[in-house]
Amino acid sequence: MTGRTVPPEAVRLLRLDEESRLFLRLRATLVWETVRSMVAGSRLRVSLVVLLSGLFWAALYGLFVEAFGFLDALHADVISLLFNAFFSSLMVMLVFSTAILLYGGMYRSPEARLLLTLPVRAETVFAHKFREAMWFASWGFILLGSPMLVAYGVVKGSAWPYFVLLLPFMLAFVTIPAALGGIACITLVGWLPRLRLHALSIGITLACVVILWLGWSLLAQPRSDAMSAAWFERTFARLAFTEQKLFPSWWLSSGLMEAARTEREGRLSAAGLTEGIKFLALLFANALLLQLAAGWLARVAYRRGYSHLTGEVPARRRRRAGWFDRVVMEGGSAVGRPLRLLLVKDLRLFRRDISQWSQFLIFFGLLGLYFLNLRSFNYYNAYASMIGFLNLAVVGLILSTFTTRFVFPMISLEGRRFWILGLLPVHRDQIVWSKFLFSFLGGLIPCAVLVFLSDSMLGLSWRLIALHEFCCLLLCLGLSGIAVGLGARMPELRESSPAKISSGFGGTLCLVISSLYITVVVIVAAVPTHLFLLSRTLGPTVITPDGFLAWAGGPWGAAASLAIISLAGIAATAVPLRLGLQAFRRLEA
Amino acid sequence: MIEFDHVSRTYGPKVAVTDLSLAIPRGELFALLGPNGAGKTTSIKMLVGLLHPSRGAIRICGHDVVADPRSAHLHVGYVPDEPCLYDKLTGREFLWFIADMFGMPRHLARDRLDREIECFELGEFLDDLAESYSLGMKQRLVFAASLLHDPDVLVLDEPMVGLDPRSVRIVKDRLSDRTREGMTVFMSTHTLAMAEEMADRVGIMVRGQLRFLGTVMELRGQVAFEATSLEQLYLELTSPRGGGA
Repeated sequence: MTGRTVPPEAVRLLRLDEESRLFLRLRATLVWETVRSMVAGSRLRVSLVVLLSGLFWAALYGLFVEAFGFLDALHADVISLLFNAFFSSLMVMLVFSTAILLYGGMYRSPEARLLLTLPVRAETVFAHKFREAMWFASWGFILLGSPMLVAYGVVKGSAWPYFVLLLPFMLAFVTIPAALGGIACITLVGWLPRLRLHALSIGITLACVVILWLGWSLLAQPRSDAMSAAWFERTFARLAFTEQKLFPSWWLSSGLMEAARTEREGRLSAAGLTEGIKFLALLFANALLLQLAAGWLARVAYRRGYSHLTGEVPARRRRRAGWFDRVVMEGGSAVGRPLRLLLVKDLRLFRRDISQWSQFLIFFGLLGLYFLNLRSFNYYNAYASMIGFLNLAVVGLILSTFTTRFVFPMISLEGRRFWILGLLPVHRDQIVWSKFLFSFLGGLIPCAVLVFLSDSMLGLSWRLIALHEFCCLLLCLGLSGIAVGLGARMPELRESSPAKISSGFGGTLCLVISSLYITVVVIVAAVPTHLFLLSRTLGPTVITPDGFLAWAGGPWGAAASLAIISLAGIAATAVPLRLGLQAFRRLEA
Repeated sequence: MIEFDHVSRTYGPKVAVTDLSLAIPRGELFALLGPNGAGKTTSIKMLVGLLHPSRGAIRICGHDVVADPRSAHLHVGYVPDEPCLYDKLTGREFLWFIADMFGMPRHLARDRLDREIECFELGEFLDDLAESYSLGMKQRLVFAASLLHDPDVLVLDEPMVGLDPRSVRIVKDRLSDRTREGMTVFMSTHTLAMAEEMADRVGIMVRGQLRFLGTVMELRGQVAFEATSLEQLYLELTSPRGGGA
């Protein structure tokens, strides 16, 4: 049969504007329901997120006010350069992140599979997923960029139109790299599906090389030279390439600086505002043009690209047990073999889950890069020690996000597969202990290396390094105990997504307790050392000789602090683990 | 209603569907049978436009699913093997979204919603968020959504997975009623008994090729000559050494 049939009664294809309205309504409903269920289901988490975001925003604002005040007084022309460097690097990151998010949303999500079987335009589906990807890629910029730009306006004494224009400026700007990311994503999948992974890895490698080269060339300079006029000049010369007039980042920074301009006595500069609005119009015009181009491309190539990807055969890789797995499995006594087998199973799952080890690598890698560059600056003894403790806290906090995100949900996910483990001759306690060992050993090795790296770069004494490593050991023990214990005590057996498990009440509680624990250990360990070093650097008169601070800075204070952090470590490890073991023994899957 | 015109599809070097030519007229319930990896899901994905044929063309009500997918989709309802819903929409909101997507007038959409809610017994959980639904609830909701616009063609990929016996009965009755009214159903299934009970014609696919195409009676006719039961004949046809009809 080849004759076309008229559509069923009262069914018709929607106009483009009707489709757009329908998807906007869908997005609004989804956002509303998500917020509503978050507020209803995880109040603690929402309150913490709002509170911490507010604190973070305020701290950044204060920092930027100080920084802009300093730069405005000494090096006013530096601000333009910094804006250009910041916005251009942000642009590159936004292109990549939007492209990756769109790839997941448009080609790999069940939602895309549903929408492509409905009578909807491909470009409408693209626009729907584009808005989502743009938001996820750029909310960080709104959160981090807004205090910076507000602080700039405040320092410059700008009039109200500058503050009103900030959001339109940011929206117009982020749309440009997001649309470029969309175009790159559709082009690669539509026409070069086999090259997409190569293109992505080459792009990311190039971006990393450029960033590393820039970072290295800026920081690998003589220590005595840092922050001098010559250092500033060399740094500016290296960053000058970001001031290209064809870059949207230049339009943004120029537009913002023009809009922020004031006449004498802080009066609004009409000429500056007009120039600012011209730059805004330029950004909007380009954003809209690129969005149109991306939409057209989606109409031409989205369905074809989707079909290409759906038709791809996943590469079959035969997995063999590695030498390390074999050593762990075969080494040791027969009694401990079930525990070791569970450990190897978790290790394999970790190795084969790219989302886990890639995040691990990125965060600890960035931290390592930062520690490697610590030598570029000179420190006073007491401040070097303080920075060492702060670095220890950062290592602990990053580890706590990993234990919350990846270790806390492990028992819940094991609970879903309980029928497998339940039939094996394995004691339930061994399951919990295997998670604890996995988390503790997996965290201890990179954290101890990072702490040692940080302390070596800071030139700290062996005694302080030993203290920091001891604190690191306690942190790894305690954080693993908290994550595994609470994970077993508060399992989410109905949930299959580890992200959702860790973002629930139990996960938030785990993160809060972990943060408190890190704060206690680092502060209690740092106080005696810091007071002792201060008294040696600045003389004993700074600290009251007979007071509590003098006692705290002496040998008894150090001994007391070691005792307190050891007790805190034992408590943070043993109490949650005990609670978790008891709960897991009673668990009915 | 549905026309596969010399359709082939390859996955790299592997041929998933080979030169499939098939016409399914109005009001017929067609069941596509075959073992895992036979090409059933590939055929269905091509039929609903998720996968483009490497060669040949597929038409639904005369509309080419690759060249004019929107017009083709206007005539189609689709129930995939894994139901996809928005977790943060209620069942009712999802049904309204689908009705709006097909441009149905509000009064008509309301009537159809009421009809499908009653038919698939969705009332109890319809105003809960879909994230709380069981697999069976999701599957019933997807069935209701796929029938909301009274499609000319209904495409079902393993439709009974996750349904309890009562829901299976409801679905079967509904499919029988709708095919009598002229709707064409293209269904892939592993369940021989279901095909036997419901299908007007069956196709048995093995390694991308249609080994048997005919009515259930014709299939039964072969049983009388070649095998002792329908199941034995099916196993014979789908075995690596099996011959075509």
